[in-house]
Amino acid sequence: MKPLMLQGHERSITQIKYNREGDLLFSCSKDLKPNVWWSLNGERLGTYNGHQGAVWSLDVDWSTSKMITGSGDMTTKIWDVEFGKVLASIPAQSSVRTTNFSYSGNQAAYTTDKAMGQNCELFIIDVRTADSSLSHQDPVLRVPILQSKVTSMLWGALDETIITGHENGHISLYDVRNGKQINSVNDHTNSINDMQLNKDGTMFVTASKDTSAKLFDSESLLCLKTYKTERPVNSAAISPILDHIVVGGGQDAMEVTTTSSRAGKFDSRFFHLIYEEEFARLKGHFGPINSLAFHPDGKSYASGGEDGFVRVQVFDNSYFEYMFE
Amino acid sequence: MPAADKVKSSWADEVELDYGGLPPSTEVIENGHKYVTEYKFNNDDKKTKVLRTYKITKQVVPKVVARRKNLPKFGDSENDKPGPNSHTTMVSEDVYMQFLSAKDEEKSNENVLDPLKNIAKCRICNGDHWSVNCPYKGTAMDTSKLMENKAPATTTTVDSGSKTGKYVPPFMKDIQKAGGPGGRGRDDTSAIRISNLSESMTEADLEELVKKFGPHNKMYLARDKNTGLCKGFAYVHFKLRKDAAAAIELLNGHGYDHLILNVEWSKPQNN
Repeated sequence: MKPLMLQGHERSITQIKYNREGDLLFSCSKDLKPNVWWSLNGERLGTYNGHQGAVWSLDVDWSTSKMITGSGDMTTKIWDVEFGKVLASIPAQSSVRTTNFSYSGNQAAYTTDKAMGQNCELFIIDVRTADSSLSHQDPVLRVPILQSKVTSMLWGALDETIITGHENGHISLYDVRNGKQINSVNDHTNSINDMQLNKDGTMFVTASKDTSAKLFDSESLLCLKTYKTERPVNSAAISPILDHIVVGGGQDAMEVTTTSSRAGKFDSRFFHLIYEEEFARLKGHFGPINSLAFHPDGKSYASGGEDGFVRVQVFDNSYFEYMFE
Repeated sequence: MPAADKVKSSWADEVELDYGGLPPSTEVIENGHKYVTEYKFNNDDKKTKVLRTYKITKQVVPKVVARRKNLPKFGDSENDKPGPNSHTTMVSEDVYMQFLSAKDEEKSNENVLDPLKNIAKCRICNGDHWSVNCPYKGTAMDTSKLMENKAPATTTTVDSGSKTGKYVPPFMKDIQKAGGPGGRGRDDTSAIRISNLSESMTEADLEELVKKFGPHNKMYLARDKNTGLCKGFAYVHFKLRKDAAAAIELLNGHGYDHLILNVEWSKPQNN
C-alpha cells in the first residue's frame, strides 16, 4: 500500500479522529491549529485557527456540524466544522486535556488538568445552542476529581455515564445525572493514554503507558482481554468490521533520540481481538505513534505520530485475505 | 483546446519562455486520468517540470458526504487550488504489512530487545553499565577477586563442553590426548595467544598478568628487533590446560593498559 502522508502540523500530533461517515479526518497537534482533511485523497479542507496553546484533544459530533477542542491555552472551543469559525470559547482554570461530545451531540464533556493550584475537574456542558453565550453559562455538571488526573475520557452507553482513564492507571465510571462515581477498576499500572469504543459502544480498548492495551466492558469495567507489547502504548483502536485491534506507541518521546528506529518499535501493531495475539505490523512513522483511528468502514486507518505526520493507510487485499490460525 | 496546449508545450516555445518566466501550468484529462504539468523553481533556482497524474474515480456516497465534497477551503488552506496541495499531502513510498506467525514474533523480540537492554556490559562485575563506570573499578574485584569467583565456573564449563560437546573423530581425540597435532615437538595445547598488548608491555607485566591463573612453562613476548618495544602480542604456555582456559575466559575482552585484550588458543603454525 502507498499511505498518504498528511503534513499539516509543525509539531507532534496529539489526537486524530474520523467523523461518523469517515469522509473527513480531523487532527490536532501541539501546534495551535487543528486540521481537517478529506480522508479519500488526503486533501486539506482547512485549519481551525484560534487557539493560543497546544491542542490536546478534539471530537466531532454525530452530524459533523460541530467540533470541540481542548487546549493548553485553558479554553475549550466549539467550532463550526464546515467553515472553521469559532462558535464558542469556554474558559477553564487550567489546561483542557480531554474533550468529547455525547453520542447525541446535545452535551459535551471536558476535563481539566491538575495544575496551577487547581484540581482536576470533569465538566459537562449543554451544547445545543453553541454560541458565545456558552462562555459564561454554568456547566450542567461539575465533578472535582481528587484522585489522579484524568488523561482520557469517553461517554458511556446511552450517554448516561462517563468513563475516565487516569494518570495512575485507574479507570472510573461516573454517572452523568449526579456526578457520583459508580465504579472504579485498577487493571493498569500506569497512565491511560487513550480509550476508544468499539462500533456499538459495548466495549472499549485502553492504551496505557504500562506497555499494554486492554479491552474492557464499558458497563461493568470488567477487563476482558490484554494485549501485551514491550513499549508504552499511546493509542489503540478496534476495527469496526473485523476482530482486530490496532495498537500504536513506541519508545517514550523523551528517549527516542537515544534508540534506533528499529529498536524504538514505532510500527502499528495488529492484534487479534479475541486471541490477544499479534499477527501483523506496519512500519511508517519515525517517532512513536500518538493516536490511531480506524475509518468507520474498516478498510483504512490513520495514525498520527510524534513526528508530526498523519498517515492514512488503506489496507491491501492481503489484510482481508489473512486468516488467523 | 488540446491543440492549443500542444503548441504551448512544444520545446521551441519553452526555450523562448526561458527568458520570460515560468510556462503556464497545463491540465489534460485523458481516459480517466488527469495529467497536471507545472513548472516551478526548485531550491537551486533551477526550473523544474512537475508532472502529476491523478486517477479520476466515481464513488457513490451519502448525500451529506457529497455536499461536504464541495465545501470551500478555509483557514490556512483558503488559497489552495482544488485537489490535494503537494505541500501538505504526499504519497509516501510503498509499505507492506508484515504478517507474523507466533514463532517469528518470539524470535524478533529476542533479537531486538536483548541488545537494547544490555548494550553496556561491565567487564569487571558483569553489571549493565560500562566498565569505566563500574563501582568496583580499581578494587581487588577488578582483577584477582573476579578470577576467584569465575574460575571454578569456567573450568566446569570446559569440562562439560568436552563431555557433551560435538562429535570428535577418534583420531582427533588421540591428538588431544597426545598433546599437540602431529609433528609438533612442543605441547601447544595449553598455549594461549594474547594480542592487542600495548607497546610498553614487558615480560614482568605479562608475568604479573598471567601468574594468577596458574603455573606456566614458558612465555614469549614478541618484541620489535630494532626498537625493543613490544609488537603487541605474546604467547603463554600454561602447565595445565584448564588454567589456560580460565585465562582465556577472563582475559579476553579484559581492559589492560587502556587496551582491550584479545586472548585465544594459540593456533598451530601451518607448516
